[in-house]
Amino acid sequence: MRVTLNVNGVDHTLDVEPRRLLADVLRHGLGLVGTHLGCEHGVCGACTVLLEGRPVRSCLLFATQCDGLPIRTVEGLVSEEGELHAVQQAFITAHGLQCGFCTPGFIMSIVDLLEREPSPDDERIREALSGNICRCTGYVNIVAAVREASRLMTETSHD
Amino acid sequence: MTDRPGVLGARVTRVEDRRLITGLSRYIDDLSRPGILHLRLVRSPFASARIVGGPESGFAMGASSGPLLFTGDDFETGITADTSVDGWRSSTQPLLGRRRVRYSGEPVAAVLHEDPYVVEDLAESVSFDFDPEDAVGSIEAALAPGAPLVHEDWDRNIFVTRRARFGDLERARSGADIIVKRVFRNSRQAGVPLECRGALAEPDGRGGLTLWSSTQIPHLVRSVLAGCLGVAENMIRVVAPDVGGGFGVKGHVFPEEVLVSALALRTGRPVKWIEDRREHLISSIHAREHIHVLEAYVRGDGRILGVKAQLLVDAGAYSVYPWTAGSDSGMAAKALLGPYDIESYQVEDHAVATNKCPLGTYRGVGRPSAVFSMERLMDEIAAEVGIDRFEVRYRNVVREFPYATVNGLLLDSGSYVEALDMMKELLTAAEQATTVDGSSRLGAGIALYNEQTAHGTLDFEVRKTPIAAGYESALVEMDPQGRVTVRTGLQSHGQGMETTLAQVAAHELGIPLDHVRVIHGDSDAPYAMGTWGSRGATLGGGAVARAARAIRSKLLDIAAYHLEIAVEDLEMAEGSVQARGSPEQSLPIAILAAWANTRPAKLPEGMAPGLVVQKSVDGPPRGAFSYACHGAVVSVDAGTGKVALRRYIVIEDCGTMINPMIVDGQVHGGVAQGIGSALLEEFHYDEEGQPLSTTFMDYLLPSTTDVPEIEVHHLVTPSPFTEYGMKGMGEAGAIGPMAAIANAVSDAIGFPANHTPLRMTRVWGLLHTEGGEDPVLTRLDELGLGDFWETPTSPPDEISLAGGQ
Repeated sequence: MRVTLNVNGVDHTLDVEPRRLLADVLRHGLGLVGTHLGCEHGVCGACTVLLEGRPVRSCLLFATQCDGLPIRTVEGLVSEEGELHAVQQAFITAHGLQCGFCTPGFIMSIVDLLEREPSPDDERIREALSGNICRCTGYVNIVAAVREASRLMTETSHD
Repeated sequence: MTDRPGVLGARVTRVEDRRLITGLSRYIDDLSRPGILHLRLVRSPFASARIVGGPESGFAMGASSGPLLFTGDDFETGITADTSVDGWRSSTQPLLGRRRVRYSGEPVAAVLHEDPYVVEDLAESVSFDFDPEDAVGSIEAALAPGAPLVHEDWDRNIFVTRRARFGDLERARSGADIIVKRVFRNSRQAGVPLECRGALAEPDGRGGLTLWSSTQIPHLVRSVLAGCLGVAENMIRVVAPDVGGGFGVKGHVFPEEVLVSALALRTGRPVKWIEDRREHLISSIHAREHIHVLEAYVRGDGRILGVKAQLLVDAGAYSVYPWTAGSDSGMAAKALLGPYDIESYQVEDHAVATNKCPLGTYRGVGRPSAVFSMERLMDEIAAEVGIDRFEVRYRNVVREFPYATVNGLLLDSGSYVEALDMMKELLTAAEQATTVDGSSRLGAGIALYNEQTAHGTLDFEVRKTPIAAGYESALVEMDPQGRVTVRTGLQSHGQGMETTLAQVAAHELGIPLDHVRVIHGDSDAPYAMGTWGSRGATLGGGAVARAARAIRSKLLDIAAYHLEIAVEDLEMAEGSVQARGSPEQSLPIAILAAWANTRPAKLPEGMAPGLVVQKSVDGPPRGAFSYACHGAVVSVDAGTGKVALRRYIVIEDCGTMINPMIVDGQVHGGVAQGIGSALLEEFHYDEEGQPLSTTFMDYLLPSTTDVPEIEVHHLVTPSPFTEYGMKGMGEAGAIGPMAAIANAVSDAIGFPANHTPLRMTRVWGLLHTEGGEDPVLTRLDELGLGDFWETPTSPPDEISLAGGQ
């Protein structure tokens, strides 16, 4: 089937079999390998991308379901000048990642959270991220990274 | 090495992070090669069966452009991991099961195709004619009289039984006022990195190949490939790209790595295998699954005079390389006495074979189970004697260092009492600050433990494992610009070594951190053992320090020659070598490095050009002992048995730290895994050996709502045996939580919680049966385990250090 995926603001038109997962088409069709597959059954959240502005599991969607819809992946967060998104910067500052495999999924979930709720408390952060699994960090520094990103984004918006 | 105070020991952010958070990382499934074939494995649906026919498939084979199918008959080789311990029973894990299968999920056929989706369809159409046989799905079933044999040529389902006796246990028994005997169990768990395993092999046209693999141990993989494939080792390169977590699981050499390589050589094309999550959960490496029967001989004041321990581990169907099937039971036997001053010890450990996924290493290796048993036992002793959880430990803890344990270990340094003091204060306050509703019960518990890290060569010689080396190496090169490249056979999969090893080199050479690049995970570095066993920073960092120091020495010699100042009057400062007290007399490192590499005529007479140094560091013969005290506050819902972890406190000591930020992160992550071990994670098998935990809906990993804020406090007692006084710490966090949380739950419910994980149903069961004795106690004779508990025979005392990582 011919589909057009709008990924990080750019239209990509390509032929895909109906059964190909969105994650596989992003990764192997478009070369956007920053989106990772950790379980392929919708539990771990590593494959989280934003579809029409909402976090989705790209392992549970067919690419054909996303025809014409805007998709954001971790590759789209860095500005054209090479500046990191506040959430990315916060992950470095707070040591929010170790092996990095779950990190793009977390980052996309957090971008969504903070765009909706600029100043979540810890309980809300933990609730909002309970669909993403990290095996390295124990979450302590991921929660700290969200706090830091919230601070950075709030400061920026007040400038 | 005093030039840049602050680089070593500083909380610098990680240099690898930007790549990992922008999509520029490259994990194994992100790699491809032209002409690639995708591999899909066909796996046995039975735990024990003979293959009597097949394969049949729904596709034509052998056509030049069509799919390819391979079975066990296509490969003679397999992976054997034996020890030279007396009575060891040998097994060989085939690349693909031949004639019989020994666990459900064992691969029996390999299908290759150019399309990763199509190859899965094709593999589903492959079938064999299996003749199922009775399987053994538990330790008890494996040891029961008349049990089916996992390996038909064995006489008993046991890889190895080891016995050791230290000190005068009879005197301990006769001097005891009370004897405390208990059974402790952990269920089967695993490291479960978020990235599954995977490998990609590409032939080089000269009979050699490159294997990219998601591994912690590139050189060990290379050596096994050379042996199995009959290819000279210098024709094989093994590269670990970015690796999405390992935790010991990826610290094995797997049949799949050999298979992918063999198929690449056979087809002349690149072959790639990416494991899916179901495969990972049923057929990679599992861990834990211990039954411990412990008996302590205790004086009325709580002083422990001796311990007798029988340790059983369900090691699964095959012995794994290089740790063997005996690593968990051996390590538990070695580590059981922990931080306590106990003068007699008798231990028997059994690695039991079952028709289940092979057991291997997972963060802590045997020690989470050993510490769980020992620390639960301490609380049981405290209850019997009538003293509190701190007092029983004060009365038994080691206070003077170095301390030689009765079973031959040397606790190099520490401050165990100080850790207990701190924890007593912190935990008491934490418990008082925690409120519970009317239907819940509050409890607190601690775990005090130590951990041998950075094992040296002697340790492995004594263990008799397939590898017998405890050293780590580094190659450090300063280029003409004065920039430094560090090559290490370690592999960094979350530990941040691209930062910490650079910190070491920057510290030694007095250069900025960003002037150092670390290349890891590549067998083109000098031979090394890899990343496991809490050794990377201590031994790898130590090797970098020594190599960088040698380069520094050469730079000083060159500068001394040109400045006409004695070396001892020179110092390194901010990228230069300068005269002490007169910084105007200096030479930039960049000039010295350029001369050393490109202007040999500028060098003192007789000095060889170049700035490349390789050094290795062996681990201390008896290790460097880290230690920690963990404290947990829990509430238990009396109606449902649900445990909520309310507070978690860690006091840890890993000696000198290169980067405390990274240490804290490692502790957090280890603790979270330990929380999973304590409360959630459990591989279930039915009686026929069928795996029942095959998705993340059944095998529960801790999430943000299961793990609380983890409070980390540091003590620092440097090891006298290592560079800078470092001690390993990668595994430590995972070792304590099972014990601390089980002790807290026991405290909350008023009954001993002696079987982890403490999932809701298990705790609910404890609340409704008021505890009760473990049924294995009445079956020891039937299972052939009774002799150990008879009046002891007296084998000669020996130093036994058998064990895993």
